[in-house]
Amino acid sequence: MRRFLLAFAGLAVVLLALPIVGLLQRTPWSSLPDLLGDDVTLDALRVSLVVSLVAALVVLVLGTPLAWALGRTDLPGRRIVRALVVLPMVLPPVVGGAALLFALGRRGLIGQWLDRWFGLTLPFTLTGAIVAATFVALPFYVIAVEGALRTARREIDDLEGVASTLGAPPLTVLRRITLPRLLPAMGAGLALAWARALGEFGATITFAGNLPGRTQTLPLATFLALQSEPERALALSLVMLAVALAVLLPLRDRWLPGR
Amino acid sequence: MSALSLAGMTRMGDLRLDVDLVVEPDETVAVLGPNGAGKTSLLRLLAGLLSLDSGALAIGGATVDEPGTGAFLPPHLRRVGWVPQDRLLFPHLTVAGNVGFGPGVDADRVAGLLDALGLTGLAYRRPDECSGGQAQRVALARALATDPVVLLLDEPSAALDVESRHLINGVLTAAEAPATLLVTHDPVEAATLADRLIVLENGAVSQAGSPREVRSRPKTRYVASLAGLNLLEATASGTVAVTALGTRVVLAEPAEGPVHLVVPPTAVALHRSAPDGSPRNVWQAGVTDLQPAFERIRVVLDGPLPVVAEVTPAAVEELGLRVGSEVWAAVKATEVACHAI
Repeated sequence: MRRFLLAFAGLAVVLLALPIVGLLQRTPWSSLPDLLGDDVTLDALRVSLVVSLVAALVVLVLGTPLAWALGRTDLPGRRIVRALVVLPMVLPPVVGGAALLFALGRRGLIGQWLDRWFGLTLPFTLTGAIVAATFVALPFYVIAVEGALRTARREIDDLEGVASTLGAPPLTVLRRITLPRLLPAMGAGLALAWARALGEFGATITFAGNLPGRTQTLPLATFLALQSEPERALALSLVMLAVALAVLLPLRDRWLPGR
Repeated sequence: MSALSLAGMTRMGDLRLDVDLVVEPDETVAVLGPNGAGKTSLLRLLAGLLSLDSGALAIGGATVDEPGTGAFLPPHLRRVGWVPQDRLLFPHLTVAGNVGFGPGVDADRVAGLLDALGLTGLAYRRPDECSGGQAQRVALARALATDPVVLLLDEPSAALDVESRHLINGVLTAAEAPATLLVTHDPVEAATLADRLIVLENGAVSQAGSPREVRSRPKTRYVASLAGLNLLEATASGTVAVTALGTRVVLAEPAEGPVHLVVPPTAVALHRSAPDGSPRNVWQAGVTDLQPAFERIRVVLDGPLPVVAEVTPAAVEELGLRVGSEVWAAVKATEVACHAI
């Protein structure tokens, strides 16, 4: 039985490792510096970093209060909102992008008013790419922080209570007790959300298009290069792998479960 | 001016907490009660983490909670020091960081308290590196650091090591210690730390007084069982009292009306056959349990007077006592203390 399980576990490891090995094996190491240094790659990297970092910031600003409302209040309708939060995780990203287009496009439900009143156009812009990335990334953060809030609700309540009897006003309690207590969950959730935003493809290409230097992110550039310039696709993939590892390694000890 | 004075009522779920209590400066009062009596809720109410439904609460002479006038002072303005049962040290701060958490607590104050509670060497440890006794001392130092008007202790010496108990008792009995209200289910803790006892049962005060008074004149079955005494409710008429089970008990002194009969377990003598002699209360009983208690055995009896007898192990052997045995029990009239209710 044990041997049987180990065999399947080994198969899973192979499945996870094989693509990485394939990627490294096919990488054109000699022409790599040129490929990484040219405008297409650097533009895509820049767009990707801007989109994913701004999306992460929006996730932090909007997601934290949402996680608080879901995890620490007894507001009615929490179940429905919770289901809504998970939706972008299970929805195919292309559908998400199409939905964004119908809602926020120039003739969309809200988009027409944004256009008329503010002259704001989201589709096929950098802002649109950020909206798409935020849409798909938000659930990862909200679920992580809400989960931490709910499982530790009692403990957090108690710690806040003690802090207040020691003379700390509510804002001090939030700053010195509640936020530090939630920091690990917020960090883990934000890392996951950011990684999801960085890898976002379907919603972005549907809603924001594939305009080099404006909305073409690393995944989009990779996909495009795969059809004409496989070597460039490999180089771009390598960049994303490096970025992913750069995030994963420092987080491994503090934030990922199973330590 | 009292350190704390409460006369009020609040509801939490099924529990209705309705308590009158006063703690004077320099006084230590223990609230003794079984689990679920509302002890912890009482402390949360005093700290401002719960609020009154009616009545009033004053701390240091200032009204902090009075629903009638809408007055309510939040916890951070109340000057109470709360030491919760599970300590609740801030996990992300060091021992010194915990003790110095309160706004305005300076480094000298922290150092002085760490020293007084034997924590100086632990100043830079994290709470999860402290033993239970050390954590309790840190929680106490943290509460004292803010110079509270009244200190609220929840089961302060539950499962403490000897050193911690000694240090904590030293700080609590020091001259500069604030007024203290402690809640506990442990009668020994209550009696050793407190000047006065308040017994809380089902959210209400069932008895109050000095530890000696409470022990010698228990008014409820709970208090009697804590003191190790047998308590029987009865109605007296002259030198005879009739219990709720209809059993007649002979008294040494005449009494009238509803009374509590208090019988020390050591006064219950056990015999294999009916004893003869002086005016005694004699009855036949079955043994339902045998419990070791230090060098004695507590024999739990059923029958017309369900009481506990305390005898030596030699007597248990001699009488051949085991669960289910039938024995004769006897109590002298002079051993039955009778208190009017």
